[in-house]
Amino acid sequence: MSTLKELQDLIQTKFGIDPATLDENASMREKGFDSLALVEFLFAVEDQFGISIPDEYSSIDTLAELVAAVDKIKAEKTVAG
Amino acid sequence: MYSTVVVTGLGVVGPHGDDPQAMFAALMRGESAIRPVFPELAKPAAAGTAAFDVERWFTKLQLPGVDRVSQLAVAAADLAMKDAGSPADLDAERVGVYAGCGMGGAAALEAAYRGNGRVPPLTVPAFMPNAPAAHVAMRQHTLGPVITYSVACASSAVAIAEAAAAVQRGDVDLAIAGGAESLVVPGVMLAWQAMMTLATFAPGEAGRAVRPFAADRTGFALGEGAAFVVLESAEHARKRGARVHAALTGWGLSCDATHLTKPDAAGQARALRAALKRAGLAPGDIGYCNAHGTATRIGDVVERDALALVWGDDLASLPVSSTKALHGHLLGAAGALEAVITVLALEHRQLPPNANCDAPDAECALNLVPARGADAPALNAAITSSFAFGGTNAVLLFTRAES
Repeated sequence: MSTLKELQDLIQTKFGIDPATLDENASMREKGFDSLALVEFLFAVEDQFGISIPDEYSSIDTLAELVAAVDKIKAEKTVAG
Repeated sequence: MYSTVVVTGLGVVGPHGDDPQAMFAALMRGESAIRPVFPELAKPAAAGTAAFDVERWFTKLQLPGVDRVSQLAVAAADLAMKDAGSPADLDAERVGVYAGCGMGGAAALEAAYRGNGRVPPLTVPAFMPNAPAAHVAMRQHTLGPVITYSVACASSAVAIAEAAAAVQRGDVDLAIAGGAESLVVPGVMLAWQAMMTLATFAPGEAGRAVRPFAADRTGFALGEGAAFVVLESAEHARKRGARVHAALTGWGLSCDATHLTKPDAAGQARALRAALKRAGLAPGDIGYCNAHGTATRIGDVVERDALALVWGDDLASLPVSSTKALHGHLLGAAGALEAVITVLALEHRQLPPNANCDAPDAECALNLVPARGADAPALNAAITSSFAFGGTNAVLLFTRAES
């Protein structure tokens, strides 16, 4: 499963948001994710992918940015692992 | 000249559901909402949990960091405001929230401890005890004082008393006052079991576990829920054409200052007298007492002694019941839930039973409301008591709207 699909499924399960209504390049904050919802979402993403998202990614605003971040962290983990 | 404080809205989300009238009818029928919980625990546990559909009040996107205790508070406060006729044209800066909460978000703390080191990032804002009040303020967009009272079992009775004082002084035009508590999680249940204050019961007997003032009483069961009332001055209510449930004419606060957990009749009597004095009523004017009545061995006797100190020869004419037998002890929300029940008793002129008391304790000699409940056609004034660990005692005194 692609990272994007996996994240979309997680958003659907956790927040009840239909992936079709969330443009991957749109601001998640503008879609109703406030800072608290985002912080909890990143926590769930860490659980889902078995990764740790460093603080430098806390300003992520779009799903596309999050996909890129997750893929990068996963890749770094594989190399380091 | 101080204004009269009236109750214009009632909202509950508790063990008997979220409709105050249906809840009162269930209490009159003597229906217990106390059920077994957590079968995995070594010692049998029972509680009155709130029947609650969270999706009626929150989208999933609104829920991060909102513990169940705050969810219940938002729902009960919203129901109270709707019952008050959804008052429009309020000056938001002159509306306050006065909320009792004994502990805060127990489920959030429990999840943090049980997360094997993975602690959810919103644990702190979820469990802080003032979160319920803050969430009520955000939902109702109130901009005046938003205050949390954490006074153990008296929390929400104190909150209502403080709100009434603020309305009477003219600090606020309208107050949303009550409380919320949601501690039915295994960790907290174990803590209460360790304290040896919870009722013991045989399998299948959870509904009869709590027996206030009975010779065979063994303690209370935890209850969960939230209850709020809307308070305003009689003049403010009249101007906006609000229906008045009852007047809150008296309240009394006192502290035993003797022992952290052992109740004290003299201290409780001071709160009872203070409430009567503020209302300008004599003991004989009171037609119902919704007792604190936790069904602990010592608590019920001390409460009886306190009532005897104040009522004297009139004690036999004061009908008393503890509805905790049926809904459990809502701790920080108990005072508010029982205030709502007391207001409904006045409105219906009916007294809910002191359930599960087949053989009253001779040391708790009181005029207990029988198991079938009672009609009280002449009822004009009623009190409800909340006595807390820490020694704080709170008594609220309500009178019928037209009297």
